[in-house]
Amino acid sequence: MIPLQHFLLVGAILFCLGLFAVITRKNAIQILMGIELMINASILNLVAFGKYDKINNTGQIFALFIIVLAAAAVAVALVIILNLYKRAKTIDPTQTDTLQG
Amino acid sequence: MENIFNHHQLLCLALLALSAPLLAFICSLIFKKLAPIIGILSIGISFISSLVLFLGIWKKQVLYYSFDWIQLANVKIGAGVLLNDLTVIMLLLISFIALLVTIYSVEYMRKDGLKYRYFAYLSLFCFAMLAVVMANNLFVVYIFWELVGFSSYLLIGFWFSKEKAVQASKKAFIMNRVGDVGFLIGLMILLTQFHTLDIDALFGSGNLIASSFVKNEIWATPFGLLPHYWLTIVGFCFFAGAIAKSAQFPLHTWLPDAMEGPTAVSSLIHAATMVAAGVFLLLRIAPLFDQTVLNVMAIIGLFTAFMAASIAVTQSDIKKVLAFSTISQLGFMIMAVGIQNQAAAIFHLVTHAFFKCLLFLAAGMIIHQLHHIKEKNKANFDEQDLAIMGGFRKFMPITAMVFMIAALALSGLPFTSGYLSKDAILVSVFEWSDVRGGFYWLLPIVASITSWLTTFYIFRVVFKVFFGEFTLPNILNKTEKEIHLTDPNAWMKMPVIILAVFCFGFFFALNPFNLDGAWLYQGFNLTESHQGIYHTLVPIYINLLSFGLIFITYQGYAKKAFSFNLEQSFLYKLSYNQWYFNQFYDIFLMRLVVLKARCYYWFDQKVIDGFIHFISKLIIILSKIAAWLDRYIIDGFVNSVALFVSLLGASLRRLQSGKLQHYYIWMLLLFLTFMIFKIII
Repeated sequence: MIPLQHFLLVGAILFCLGLFAVITRKNAIQILMGIELMINASILNLVAFGKYDKINNTGQIFALFIIVLAAAAVAVALVIILNLYKRAKTIDPTQTDTLQG
Repeated sequence: MENIFNHHQLLCLALLALSAPLLAFICSLIFKKLAPIIGILSIGISFISSLVLFLGIWKKQVLYYSFDWIQLANVKIGAGVLLNDLTVIMLLLISFIALLVTIYSVEYMRKDGLKYRYFAYLSLFCFAMLAVVMANNLFVVYIFWELVGFSSYLLIGFWFSKEKAVQASKKAFIMNRVGDVGFLIGLMILLTQFHTLDIDALFGSGNLIASSFVKNEIWATPFGLLPHYWLTIVGFCFFAGAIAKSAQFPLHTWLPDAMEGPTAVSSLIHAATMVAAGVFLLLRIAPLFDQTVLNVMAIIGLFTAFMAASIAVTQSDIKKVLAFSTISQLGFMIMAVGIQNQAAAIFHLVTHAFFKCLLFLAAGMIIHQLHHIKEKNKANFDEQDLAIMGGFRKFMPITAMVFMIAALALSGLPFTSGYLSKDAILVSVFEWSDVRGGFYWLLPIVASITSWLTTFYIFRVVFKVFFGEFTLPNILNKTEKEIHLTDPNAWMKMPVIILAVFCFGFFFALNPFNLDGAWLYQGFNLTESHQGIYHTLVPIYINLLSFGLIFITYQGYAKKAFSFNLEQSFLYKLSYNQWYFNQFYDIFLMRLVVLKARCYYWFDQKVIDGFIHFISKLIIILSKIAAWLDRYIIDGFVNSVALFVSLLGASLRRLQSGKLQHYYIWMLLLFLTFMIFKIII
């Protein structure tokens, strides 16, 4: 049986990769992908901890909720990115800085 | 004799006589071309009214009218007229002489561009002078006294482009002010003591002066008590006013300088009328003076008479001789007041007015004609200098005649008016000192010497001007024919001839040798006349020597039989330089005043201005400090707060970069920081 630490380690690596993508990518879609990575890392954590709750399976249920919510969020995010592209003709977040103070 | 006019009519006449010159003054300034006619008309009206007033009042009644003018608590000051014998004589004299002088001036001032002013000022003077004489209240007298002085100032400085005339007018005005201060103080003392300044109340029917008395060193009146010396002080105060007006020592130096005015003015104002105002004032308030004041008055009068006569002996300017002669004769009048022979003072005042006015007018004729010759020949000589005159008798016979008549009258020779009036004074001086004896005998001796000096100096002028050699041709390098020296026309001749007639004694006494028969003298002589030995002896001894002196001067100046080579002697210099009074005043008074003024100027400049400058500088420094505080501390604080806030904003706004990932990084960092702190704590 695979120990819990391995799950958590994979989750952490996934989370860091997502975080790195969100911070460094020059493309909004790639950032979105990084977000997805981070969500998935958290889902992995939930599922891994779900082994300690065999009666209610709270971890698995929560994971399902998050997947649905992530899908909806991605849909919304894509729409925003589309609209952004319509306006700015770019999806590079470093160039869309009209809200600069 | 019945009274021809009732009070009301006489009052109207008095007002007419007074207001005509005032109207003329105003009209002359408006209708400039008509000024001479207006002047003659107005003073003519005054003269006729005065004549009627004289006939109505002389020896008959006293006209008194007064209305309340000023009321202060319990003191009333009235204004009105008081016409008594003295006043009507003065009225007649002033208006008559003013009329003649005004007529004379028409010709004398014919070429002057500003003559309308001249006639206006002359009218103003007549108005003021008549008012001085008529006024019933000493306060009103004082007001018009000042106005007389002011019009005299205007007329002395009439030729205001001449520097000397301006200086002379200022001098006359300032020296008169000195006396006026005395007058004013005298008024205040009288007002304190009697609560009234009404002449009638004080000296006439009210008789307040007579009812006051000095007892136990207290001067008691119905209204108050003062230490006895105040009576002497008040006398000296009024005497000071008279001294200044009548040009007596020590305030006499303005009168010779006043000769810078037109000669007609000198004759009217500075010989006949205004200078007599001082004597008039003394006569009007004569009962006020106590024995000390009277003695001082007699001595000052005599000293002035002697001093001025001694100065007149050597003067080279014809008008200066006459000016000092005037001072001298006024000294005689003051002395007559001092020895309480007021009748003689009035008498001499009247006769002197005629002959001195005549002397001046005749001198004016000479000056006028010489001035024409000077302008015609474009020559350069002083037309008043005696040195250029000589032998004018042949060319100006009428001038010579009237001048000599007046000179005879001034010397007091028989048949002239001067004989009567001057001897009246001399006789009373002898009698006065006879009563007192001893030291007082100096007075008649000096008075006699003065009288002989008078004869000498006036005949020196007569013989220098009208006799001797005709020197003008030599000066101008022309023949006698080319110099048209003649008598002036009738405008000038008529007044002097009329005046010359009045220089004869017949007008004043039927018997021109009998002094006590003179109506004017009798009119005022309150004491019973007693024919003493002096009445015959004094005129004889005075006149015998006078005749001798005239002969000597004739030999000396007309025939040039001998000459008085005294130019280097001390006495000559003393006399020629007018006893150095001007220099003395310059050194001891003027320099003192100027020094004082400089001190005040210095004080003003350095101390007062310095203090103010110091304060202003202090305030500037304080305000600069305040400005610095305001700018750097208060504003600095506010500005630094603003700067801090703006710097903060500027640094914080950089967080708001608009870049999505930056926000994210910040969020992450904050979260991490929060977490780390959470773990540590």
